[in-house]
Amino acid sequence: MTAATTVEQPNFFQAKRGLFSWIFTLDHKRIGLLYLYSVGSFFLVGLTLGLLMRLELLNPGKDIMEAQTYNQVFTLHGVIMIFLFIIPSIPAVFGNFFLPLMIGTDDVAFPRLNLFSWWLYVLGALFALSTLVFGDGPADTGWTFYAPYSVNTTTNVSLSVMAALVLGFSSILTGLNFIVTIHRLRTPGMGFNQMPLFAWSLYATSWIQLLATPVIGITLLMIFAERTFGVGLFDPSIGGDPILYQHMFWIYSHPAVYIMALPAMGIVSELIPTFAQRTIFGYKAIAYSSMAIAFIGYFVWGHHMFTSGMSGPAAVIFSILTFMVAIPTAIKVFNWVATLYKGSIVIEIPLLFALAFIFNFLIGGLTGLVLGALAADVHVHDTYFVVGHFHYVMFGGTGFAFMGAMHYWFPKIWGKMYNKLWAGIAFAFVFIGFNVLYFPMFILGIMGMPRRYYDYLPEFHPLNMISTYGSWILAAGIVIMIVNLIVSKRKGEKAAANPWNGITLEWQTSSPPPLHNFDKMPELPEGGPYNYPNAKNA
Amino acid sequence: MDNTNHQEHISSYAELFGTWAALILLTFLTVFISVFGGDLHTLTVAMALFIASVKAAVVGFYFMHLKYDKKMYRLMMTVVLSLFTFFLFMVILDYLTR
Amino acid sequence: MNHTFTLPNSGHNFDAKASKLGMWLFLYTELLLFGGLFLVYMVYRYLNQEAFLEASYELNVWMGGINTVILLTSSMTIAMSITALQKGDKKLSVTLQWITIAAALAFLVIKYFEWGAKFEHGLFPGMEHYNSLPVGERLYYYLYFFMTGLHALHVIVGGVFIMVVIKKVENGSVNQKRYSLLENSGLYWHLVDLIWIYLFPLFYLIH
Repeated sequence: MTAATTVEQPNFFQAKRGLFSWIFTLDHKRIGLLYLYSVGSFFLVGLTLGLLMRLELLNPGKDIMEAQTYNQVFTLHGVIMIFLFIIPSIPAVFGNFFLPLMIGTDDVAFPRLNLFSWWLYVLGALFALSTLVFGDGPADTGWTFYAPYSVNTTTNVSLSVMAALVLGFSSILTGLNFIVTIHRLRTPGMGFNQMPLFAWSLYATSWIQLLATPVIGITLLMIFAERTFGVGLFDPSIGGDPILYQHMFWIYSHPAVYIMALPAMGIVSELIPTFAQRTIFGYKAIAYSSMAIAFIGYFVWGHHMFTSGMSGPAAVIFSILTFMVAIPTAIKVFNWVATLYKGSIVIEIPLLFALAFIFNFLIGGLTGLVLGALAADVHVHDTYFVVGHFHYVMFGGTGFAFMGAMHYWFPKIWGKMYNKLWAGIAFAFVFIGFNVLYFPMFILGIMGMPRRYYDYLPEFHPLNMISTYGSWILAAGIVIMIVNLIVSKRKGEKAAANPWNGITLEWQTSSPPPLHNFDKMPELPEGGPYNYPNAKNA
Repeated sequence: MDNTNHQEHISSYAELFGTWAALILLTFLTVFISVFGGDLHTLTVAMALFIASVKAAVVGFYFMHLKYDKKMYRLMMTVVLSLFTFFLFMVILDYLTR
Repeated sequence: MNHTFTLPNSGHNFDAKASKLGMWLFLYTELLLFGGLFLVYMVYRYLNQEAFLEASYELNVWMGGINTVILLTSSMTIAMSITALQKGDKKLSVTLQWITIAAALAFLVIKYFEWGAKFEHGLFPGMEHYNSLPVGERLYYYLYFFMTGLHALHVIVGGVFIMVVIKKVENGSVNQKRYSLLENSGLYWHLVDLIWIYLFPLFYLIH
């Protein structure tokens, strides 16, 4: 990895310049960054909406907005966070950037399709934003668009579902691209079992994107048609069945949870061996458990519908199947912990995020089992317990993995090192703020506070106040983190090609990577994908 | 890596024509059962769907070349179809047991 | 640039196998897209068996049957056009593709007359007669128009796709050595056929 071996090549930033060289680029690295900037912006919008909701809930009664506004805000918060942030986040940003690097190729299988899917993302985002200005404003249905309310409300549901449809298509194309890339473009000699685990998790995720998303596509199209023609399939007043809508919605949206979670697990599987400075423990178990989660994830959607009027026997079967998902998930956690055991651990910011991921995900996962248990779910369904649970999994899990990946690969992407002190401070704020914000929700849920209301009974006041204070700590942490990363990108000190002594393929090329990723054929090491040479073990 | 070779089995005209003939025959059969078979309701539907599935398999194996493709394609198709069948099964289970 | 090294497994290479795999993956998404509609059909047929039976008598089995034969035939011609190109007979390949497109048009014309008759009877969702029907029959017609309409859209897309391929075969960018695009248009066309194979019995033959 010394500079002497090759002539200095321009990196992918320098290769071309100008706005058009970015928005019409076919380079997977640039497309990954385009996604980073767009996904990141929408994360900030969603975050702001979340802060406004917490502010409204600071005290009982009206604080800053009316009930109807609150309904629209939480819907927009959900739509933006789910469709515009979490689903594309790790696959489209880090998947695009690092999948080709990690399997030793120079791009994804269909570079033009890749660019097209980013443009679809932008189009979908424009649809979602246009609900703000047209008609009666953004939808007030919740991100689930449950019929029959979504068919009857005067707010802008049609545009919102079109947005989700277009974004779904973008997500399908990304998934399709990754599957073909993994099948066809691995470097010669690299079998499926020599791929890094992040690639495995993307492979599993892509199959979900590919096979689940069309179902929501057609479902939303039916809602759209029902609203447009005024006749339809889900409105009970004309003989339709709203529970059928819920079935179809969750046939996609439950697997979609694994679109969000699996890549995050893949990230953690990369971070832990690097900073434990040893090869991963239980490679095959982690790889295949990703596939198992993807597979079982298709069979459990009914646990969102235990109180909907679905039949008893169906609910029991769904409940049992739900418990099965816990098995491959636990396998992963055990293997991560086993990798840390007797490793020579280096505490760096990305590792802190990975450890926080395990902590948060454990809480989120175990409370998920409470919700998956039929009898318990009936009591906490649609309470703040559910809100706490999915924020622990989505934000505490995927969000933390995203931030961990950001810090881990920052020097690879920009060739600079961030300020570690400020990164540590930001981490502390985010971790503490997150737990202060969401943990009280479990207690509120058990006490019986229902979700999706702008008001609550006086006895819930103290915990809601704590929760809102937590949201401010969290927001402060995120602001510090973003400022730190931006300043470091501009003025940070130059980073070496492999600052973490990383043991996977992407660290073997220079930082930032050259336009075609590798200046010479990558050589596969003995003993699997976590054994590439670095400064220490060479 | 061999990027240009298709290394493929070329279907003969006779084989394609034979496939077509089989499909037409099955179409006549299913129409015949429906129109002249009396009103059997559920049984008619079951038979029609069975014949449709046979036709779909013929199209898949011969026209779409699944018979001659790598095993991977048949495997993926099987997974997709089983998944879809499972969706149908679980949803109708809910309605049957309400 | 002074730099000439490219990886042998570059994503910018033409790769027939990748393009075929990609097409198949896309077809799976199409299958599940229609799959969602078949799911809805299944549930409402189960809940409204008599009404579905009653309504299905309104459809013309012969028109549906003829359309089935047309689509099956066009599936054969597009498959044969691949064989022709593989054997190097460019002219025959193009002719067979034109026959496929002609069949697509014939299918759409017949569909047009079928739909026209339904419109005349006021059976399109939202029309007066439609609104006076029992609930089950309304669901049936709604699904009929939705599913055959989406299918007809796919017929149009498939036809346009094949026309693009004809252009490319004629100018030689799709040829005996490199026929992925033709193969993919064929796969897409077979899928259109495949869906009709199920639509036909479910709407026309459930007596």
